[in-house]
Amino acid sequence: MAIVEFRNVSRVYGNGEYEVKALDSVNLTLEEGKFIVILGPSGAGKSTLLNLLGGLDSPTDGQIFVEGRDIAGLTGDALAEYRASSVGFVFQFYNLIPTLTVKENVALVKEIARDALDPERMLAEVGLSDHLNQFPAQLSGGEQQRVSIARALCKNPKILLCDEPTGALDSETGVLVLKLLLSMAKNYGKTIVIVTHNQNIAKMADTVVRVKNGKIRSCEAQEHPLAAEEVEW
Amino acid sequence: MLIRKLFRTAWQYRAQFLSMVIMVAVGIGVFLGFNIEWKSIESDVLGFFGKTNYADFRLYSETGFSEEDVRKIREIDGVDEATRFLSVVVSVKNDDRKTLTLHVSEDYTVSTMLITAGREYDPEADGFWLSDRYAEANGVRVGDTLTLTYMNLEISGEVLGLAKAGEEMICVAGENQLMPDYKTHGFAYIAPAKYAALLGPMAVYPQVNALSGMKKADLEEAVKTALGRTTMVVAKTEDMVYSEAMGESEEGKTMGSILPVLFLAIAVLTMTTTMHRIAANEKVQIGTLKALGFKDRRILAHYTSYGLVIGLVGSAVGVGLGYFIAWFIMNPNGMMGTYFDMDRWALVMPAFCVPVILLTNAFLVFIGFLSVKKMLRGTAAETLRPYQPKTVKKSLIERMPIMEKRSFGTKWNLRDVMRHKARSAMTLVGVLGCMVLLVGGIGMKDTMDSFMRILGDDISNYETRVTIADSAPNAETLALAEELNGDWQATAGVSYRGDTVMLNIYDASHGKIRFVDRNNKLMNLTDDGVYLCLRLKDTAKVGDIIEFSPYGSEETYRVRVAGYTRSVMTECISMTAAYAEEIGVPYHIGSVFTDTPAGEIGESPLFAGAPQAKAKILDTYEGFMEIMNLMIAVLVVAAVVLGIVVLYNLGVMSYVERYRELATLKVLGFRDRQIGRLLISQNIWLTLVGVLIGLPAGVGVLQWLLVALASEYELKLVLGPLTYLVSVGLTFGVSTAVGLMVARKNRKINMVEALKGAE
Ligand SMILES: Nc1ncnc2c1ncn2[C@@H]1O[C@H](COP(=O)(O)OP(=O)(O)O)[C@@H](O)[C@H]1O
Ligand SMILES: [Mg+2]
Repeated sequence: MAIVEFRNVSRVYGNGEYEVKALDSVNLTLEEGKFIVILGPSGAGKSTLLNLLGGLDSPTDGQIFVEGRDIAGLTGDALAEYRASSVGFVFQFYNLIPTLTVKENVALVKEIARDALDPERMLAEVGLSDHLNQFPAQLSGGEQQRVSIARALCKNPKILLCDEPTGALDSETGVLVLKLLLSMAKNYGKTIVIVTHNQNIAKMADTVVRVKNGKIRSCEAQEHPLAAEEVEW
Repeated sequence: MLIRKLFRTAWQYRAQFLSMVIMVAVGIGVFLGFNIEWKSIESDVLGFFGKTNYADFRLYSETGFSEEDVRKIREIDGVDEATRFLSVVVSVKNDDRKTLTLHVSEDYTVSTMLITAGREYDPEADGFWLSDRYAEANGVRVGDTLTLTYMNLEISGEVLGLAKAGEEMICVAGENQLMPDYKTHGFAYIAPAKYAALLGPMAVYPQVNALSGMKKADLEEAVKTALGRTTMVVAKTEDMVYSEAMGESEEGKTMGSILPVLFLAIAVLTMTTTMHRIAANEKVQIGTLKALGFKDRRILAHYTSYGLVIGLVGSAVGVGLGYFIAWFIMNPNGMMGTYFDMDRWALVMPAFCVPVILLTNAFLVFIGFLSVKKMLRGTAAETLRPYQPKTVKKSLIERMPIMEKRSFGTKWNLRDVMRHKARSAMTLVGVLGCMVLLVGGIGMKDTMDSFMRILGDDISNYETRVTIADSAPNAETLALAEELNGDWQATAGVSYRGDTVMLNIYDASHGKIRFVDRNNKLMNLTDDGVYLCLRLKDTAKVGDIIEFSPYGSEETYRVRVAGYTRSVMTECISMTAAYAEEIGVPYHIGSVFTDTPAGEIGESPLFAGAPQAKAKILDTYEGFMEIMNLMIAVLVVAAVVLGIVVLYNLGVMSYVERYRELATLKVLGFRDRQIGRLLISQNIWLTLVGVLIGLPAGVGVLQWLLVALASEYELKLVLGPLTYLVSVGLTFGVSTAVGLMVARKNRKINMVEALKGAE
């Protein structure tokens, strides 16, 4: 069943002379519960695609259906409500609130998400039970990213969006974080979309989407995705 | 290239830059304005006094001084000039609303005029030199004929010239009139020849005016030796004109030293936080510049120049503002123009102002320097790493159990306040300043209103005041008072502990004159002692025996202190007529107070001038109250501007600093309104603390101001509930309005942009 459908979606930056078509009439369908990897060179439009899907930005043209509802036209509070309940974001730079403790950073979402999960349990699952009362600056990058994963999952959204989640980590830590992300998504039955440069990750994906120059080059379902243990890191 | 970057950065931080420039400008403007004001008053007034030989001492004798007396006084070693002098209030014929103070300076060596039109002074002339301001207000011209009346006497003559005089620089009819009103009161000089021609041998001079650099006590001694009797000597510092003028100058000094400190302190605080912020934000850029090979010195100079530019622009605007403020107060048609009448209104800047302004600029540059210096430490690579704010610790408040339950918003705000102490402290200072100005300004109005109520109703429960001539016998005045069903007052100067104070003797049995105590409650004077005014309160306790001695008499009276009573104007000792009879102190009844309307009293040789309606006397306070209201309006506007500038600036700074965090909240799905509430609640908390401190601070400042600026009156600090309400309400209003203005910005947060880069 399709959970996401882009119909002729365009996102144009600038106006008149300096127009940049970050996305150019994109059509794309993503299935529920799948693991989707988006690949493409820098500047291809990957982040733009993810931001539109996450409700951080609105398309210049076209429709984006999420669970049958068009979010392209949403603004203000309606869009905030969509972000709060339907999507969870994991960024390259964690984006934690420096003045809140680990636990508070996660518990924060209880104020906005209706079906939020228990923050402490989420933090236990990402292995941070011992760091509940520490502040982000006291954690390593990998730990901070794990807090950010716990926060995204705690909202209990349908879709998890991750924009180069390991971009700021060394490769070893990056792999650990990715593995964690995938197993958590699987356990909770989430649709997960990851933008990455890591070819190995792509081997594990149910679907690989290739983007270039604002267009979808290909969208291939992989018959036999590898399990984490089978991949050579 | 660096110059272009300077301008771009300035534009990026325009709210902060603008508010720093405004604060520096206002600080320097207020500093210069009031300092130029007091210096100009001093220089212009003293210059005018010099030109018109304003008397250093005034000697009084009820029976008058003889030519022999004045010769002896002139011969005293240390007395430069002395002349017999006369001042008397006379009415203008056919228009008894108008009065003039008529002067005669016998030798015309002391207390002379500055003639502005018509004929030069001539001791033999048979005419008037009239106040030019009075002439202008009443359409009198040189050559017109003027007729004045004094008791049964008519004084008539040609207006020979127009003049200003040091003795009449503040031209009021008596102690009850606060501000000059040239439509109803002016002054005139006549030559001694004319005075002699009018009265012949009756032409007495009850006053000797002298120029002398002696100490008052020495002169008093010397006069006593020379004349063989005590004579009342009043130094210029005790004279209304001199002391009021110097009082205005003192007020300027006070205003010029407190207010600017407030504004400059805020400018410096804003500067510190903003420069630190800019330097922190640009740490990477600084590193890049360093890596590119720029020398530390170049980079330092670059960032330091922000401080310099702000200081210079602020100073330039401030100097203009300062001269404008000074001009606004000190010009012949300005605030002082309605008070002083003098020839020169030059603005003079005290010499120390230049170094102070230069130092202020140097200080601003130094702050700019310090904020970058820290960032430059270490290698280029280290500098390239982004600035990390201090890590957060849980504060003491947070360890309290109740904090566990607080929402994350409260914790977030609390920690944010702790983390940015300078910014929060400045917000507090801004709110505090706003609050202090409001409480001070509006409280001043309450206090003045209460003062007017006491003066107009409580202690003056009469309709009409009749001034009695010096020559009127007490028996006849008593009969008149009886007939009018009125109270009376006798006033004379006495020496008390070496100072001149007034001795007031009252018959207040009809309730026309009343008395109030320290708390402004009505009280009665008993017949078993004297009452000291509150300014003399510390000189004796109730039950003590004090001594005083009337001028012109050898007697010393020992009396018991029965209590204290508030005297709104003069420094005085009060007693009832019954007690005066008992101790046997002589007096002459000077005024009768009655409910009979002025128009129904008719004429009597007992009167000096026409009876005056109380309402008319109170009218003369109007000008004073207008200035007061203007000052209060200025204070309230200043408070609101201060509040808005400081809070907006800090609000924007806080918003910029938390931009990334706010964007994160927005991405998570927080609504604009929720984020706005978060921002405003921090404002509200800080405002609450600021108000709680500011309220007592405002009351304290006001109390201090009352003592510093209005020591000539016995003002009681009064603050109405409405004052508290309005001050608190307005402060919260400003804070909330600014909070909303800042909170509105979060609609425009660009989530994609905000979350792109590294922290
Ligand atoms: N705010 C913006 N203004 C102008 N152009 C932009 C903006 N954001 C992205 N672009 C352009 O859109 C294109 C796609 O960007 P992005 O989606 O971030 O690429 P990536 O695939 O590297 O994530 C790029 O060419 C980029 O320059
Ligand atoms: Mg990208």
